[in-house]
Amino acid sequence: MSIIDLAGIYTAYEGGEKAVIRNLSLRVDRGEYVVIGGPNSAGKTTLLESINGLVKITHGRATVCGLNVSRVSDEVRRRVGYVIQNFYFDPFTPFTVEQVVMMGRFGRLGLMNRPAREDYDAAQRAITQVGIEDLAHKTIGTLSGGQQQKAMIAHNIAKEPEVMMLDEPFSNLDFHAREYLQGVFKEMARKGVPILMVAHAFDGLPDIPIRLVVMNQGRISCDRNCRAEEVEDIIRKECVVPGKCLRRS
Amino acid sequence: MLETLIENNVVCHALEAMIFASITCSILGVIISRMSLSSIGFTMSHAAFAGAALGMFLGANAQMTAIAFSMVVAALIGPVSDKAKMAADATLGVLFAMSMAVAIFLISYMEYMGKGLSASSLLFGDVVSLYREEIYALAAVCFLAILFVLGFYKEISAIMFNMKIAEAAGIRVKLVYYILLFIIALSVALSLNIVGGLLIFVLLVTPASIAGQFCFNVRSMFIVAPAVALFMSAFGVWAAFEYTMPVAPLVALLLTAAFALSVMLSFKRRINTKMN
Repeated sequence: MSIIDLAGIYTAYEGGEKAVIRNLSLRVDRGEYVVIGGPNSAGKTTLLESINGLVKITHGRATVCGLNVSRVSDEVRRRVGYVIQNFYFDPFTPFTVEQVVMMGRFGRLGLMNRPAREDYDAAQRAITQVGIEDLAHKTIGTLSGGQQQKAMIAHNIAKEPEVMMLDEPFSNLDFHAREYLQGVFKEMARKGVPILMVAHAFDGLPDIPIRLVVMNQGRISCDRNCRAEEVEDIIRKECVVPGKCLRRS
Repeated sequence: MLETLIENNVVCHALEAMIFASITCSILGVIISRMSLSSIGFTMSHAAFAGAALGMFLGANAQMTAIAFSMVVAALIGPVSDKAKMAADATLGVLFAMSMAVAIFLISYMEYMGKGLSASSLLFGDVVSLYREEIYALAAVCFLAILFVLGFYKEISAIMFNMKIAEAAGIRVKLVYYILLFIIALSVALSLNIVGGLLIFVLLVTPASIAGQFCFNVRSMFIVAPAVALFMSAFGVWAAFEYTMPVAPLVALLLTAAFALSVMLSFKRRINTKMN
């Protein structure tokens, strides 16, 4: 059984002229490395937020980790990591990186339960895995955008998710950090955690078979397996007009 | 509770009431200020004010109607914000205006009908004429606020950090948020008689702002804010009775002075000019 199973889903926002996601079906299995590309406003972020129930699906059926997303979205979010695209932390926010990483565990702990030794260990492992040990005791608001992005990735790794979704996770990172973190995600995929990554820059993708999903106006216009170095070319060909994605004939 | 230490019943009641109100409001204030919901102080205090006016209009217990009206308003904030897709701050503005309109309408109508209504105790508080039951109720809500923070500490801290990230982590954000609103409503309604609808804002916002000038983490803010509020309230009650001054405005002025001092002395905003 696929870990993500979307069958003809529609997602619409209140007041929107039309549904952002339209009749979209997608199955993702364990260990897959899925790169989601496409022009702006193609519905990539909405797709991720439909999968973890942050945005309500208006029609269709979505099952993640065997759970119906429309019914138990809280439970789905406890199992699915999601690095959001835009965040801003004010410089005086009174939370250290270590505390923020630990928060990734809070959902799965359940209401009112205190973190145990294993939760602290998982947070520490995530910090080490992302390579931000030197930032652990710094307040997150005082860090650079790239460092904050790494902290948010560690926050989601600490969760030990069954699915990892990343929305432009490398937008603030330098090439070396990108390459290093791609290695971290490759390792997660090797262990069976599917990776769904929305991206616009594709340098440093890992040298493993990649499933490329190109979205256009709320639908999937291309879904195929390819190598890392082919991703950018395929997306260029799929999106022949800048800002307007056309299906290749 | 403090009768063994303070012989004068009026002073004793005033001190007890100020202690419980200041601890409760300052603890909740830490959450409110981090969530940029400071206007909830205005809204809830005016909702309680409108409820009390309604109680007086109907000849019912003003405190009970103040609590009931605050609860209704608290219950509306979340769903109205969600339904209207508005920021909670905008919803608070709408509900604040509605509460104020209800209060003014009822007070004006009663004056017109010749049933004079003194709103001064609701606006400015009346800490010297409290009943023992009111203090017990305040003590209960103070313990409720402390239990809420201790019980939901991890959820509260995640929500204070970032609501969307907390929700994405699988935390039941709405449930905790709605409980928070109810406890604020209850605290404000019960504190209305003590510091009044206008000054309650000081207890909700100022101690948390003072703590924010010095504290680098939330845990210490939850300790420093009530400690500052407690000290200033106790000192204010003593000074007010010693020098015959109104209690609540004096406490408000003392807290404001402490805030000004904290801004000047804060080491948190120090610029580090070390070259190596």
